[in-house]
Amino acid sequence: MRADESLASVRSIRRERPVSLAAPVAVTGLGFITPLGHTVQAFDDALFAGRSAVRARTLELQGLDPITLSVAACEFDAAEVRSASRLPLDRGTAMALAAARTAMGQAGFASSELDADRVGVYWGSGIGGCGSFDAAAASLYGEHRRLRPTTVLTVMPNAAVAEIALHFGVRGSAIGYACACASSAVAIGEAMRAIRGGWLDVAIVGGHEAMLTPGLMTSWHAMRVLAQPPAPAPSTACRPFSGDRAGFALGEGAAALVLESESHARERGAAVSAVLAGYATNCDGSHVTNPDAEGQARAMRAALRDAGLEPSQVGYLNAHGTATTAGDAAEASSIHAVFGNTVPVSATKAIHGHLMGAGGAVELIVALRALEHQALPPTANLATPDADFELDFVRGAAREAAGLRYALSNSFAFGGTNAVLIAGVTQS
Amino acid sequence: MTSATFDTVARILLTEFHLDAARVTPATPLLDLDLDSLALMEFVFAVEDAFKLRIPQERLDPREAGITLQRLCEVIDQMVAAPAGAKAGVA
Repeated sequence: MRADESLASVRSIRRERPVSLAAPVAVTGLGFITPLGHTVQAFDDALFAGRSAVRARTLELQGLDPITLSVAACEFDAAEVRSASRLPLDRGTAMALAAARTAMGQAGFASSELDADRVGVYWGSGIGGCGSFDAAAASLYGEHRRLRPTTVLTVMPNAAVAEIALHFGVRGSAIGYACACASSAVAIGEAMRAIRGGWLDVAIVGGHEAMLTPGLMTSWHAMRVLAQPPAPAPSTACRPFSGDRAGFALGEGAAALVLESESHARERGAAVSAVLAGYATNCDGSHVTNPDAEGQARAMRAALRDAGLEPSQVGYLNAHGTATTAGDAAEASSIHAVFGNTVPVSATKAIHGHLMGAGGAVELIVALRALEHQALPPTANLATPDADFELDFVRGAAREAAGLRYALSNSFAFGGTNAVLIAGVTQS
Repeated sequence: MTSATFDTVARILLTEFHLDAARVTPATPLLDLDLDSLALMEFVFAVEDAFKLRIPQERLDPREAGITLQRLCEVIDQMVAAPAGAKAGVA
């Protein structure tokens, strides 16, 4: 930890409450480690060109037939990330810490502007330090080696929450959320509520997932939801909303945002790139994996109410779009029920893979980039949409969207948890 | 203390624990490595795994003041040189 990144020494500058429960919340920082790249420039280049980072990977394990699956990996060396605790980091935790540091750097707090008691960490991950657990199990059972004293600390689901809070000296609420593919969307939304409610001024939010390890890849493969990479063009494996869709690519990465009450951001003269305007979460309450279009539609309508918007005011929708047969059918139905075929839709998991616990945060950032550029990223690999889906798909190439003001991002999870976030341009 | 032993120990501190090189000298006491008790235990495990041995608690209690990296390396060298039976319990 660098001394100038710690909040521990600062004084309170304001403590008033509350902010309106309907107030937009400012976004003042972004950071990420993704298969599309680690910088905004690299991310934008791939996103708006629809350039896929999905690749084939073959796994050969003793006693088992080799399997080939689709993955979207990050170029990232976890060993280079230094933790404030000095303890070893799970790969996902290292990604989370790197993303959070970039986001906080961009938010540009001077140390006197932050009251550590009013700063929180809200972070999502589907399975936490599963890669470390996988490695520990292989070491114990396969190599008959003892485990390290820090095994528990690298595996625990809130490891990233702890390292981020420790790095910045955060003293407000620091909470991990585990609701599968909706984890980081829920973390972001709950932080937004905490800021609106006046409990926090600032929150470091987002999520991570890193499960490209033998045990986890084998587990996902067994579930038969991963796309088989086509031999001539593995990067086209994931084809959301396509008639020939066949599942997703297992991704990894982390994405962080800095959220801040508008008054706090204004007082310190921060550059506010966008706002979070609405959030809702609910549960299908009907099945562990089979999604319910009615539950999804209720979540989207609730998020619109939360933002005080009519469906017609949303100019872009980033779908959950996992490219599974049942998942896309339910979502096409729920989007149509709420928006008809008026809102342009794209599904970017085709290029960055399914980032699980990081997915909601990465796809919110996709929505933010669309707002910034006033342009909509295409759905890659969508030559022929499923004939049953009556939606306006952005496909082939990016689409200009002059006047775009609001963008919505869906995250729907195993367990039935739905989370919907709505971002908007800054009011001027 | 052989230089190879110290180099291995130093590499663990620099790469796994991200310590500044200036801090990692033979004369540095374990308690001055800027590692808390948990990280120090993790470090000792890493060293033991690297040399495939177990250092008996009584030969290296990090809570005892004054044990330096040089002393750690000497203990490692003595154990590596000892007959195989002295390395009991190594997994």
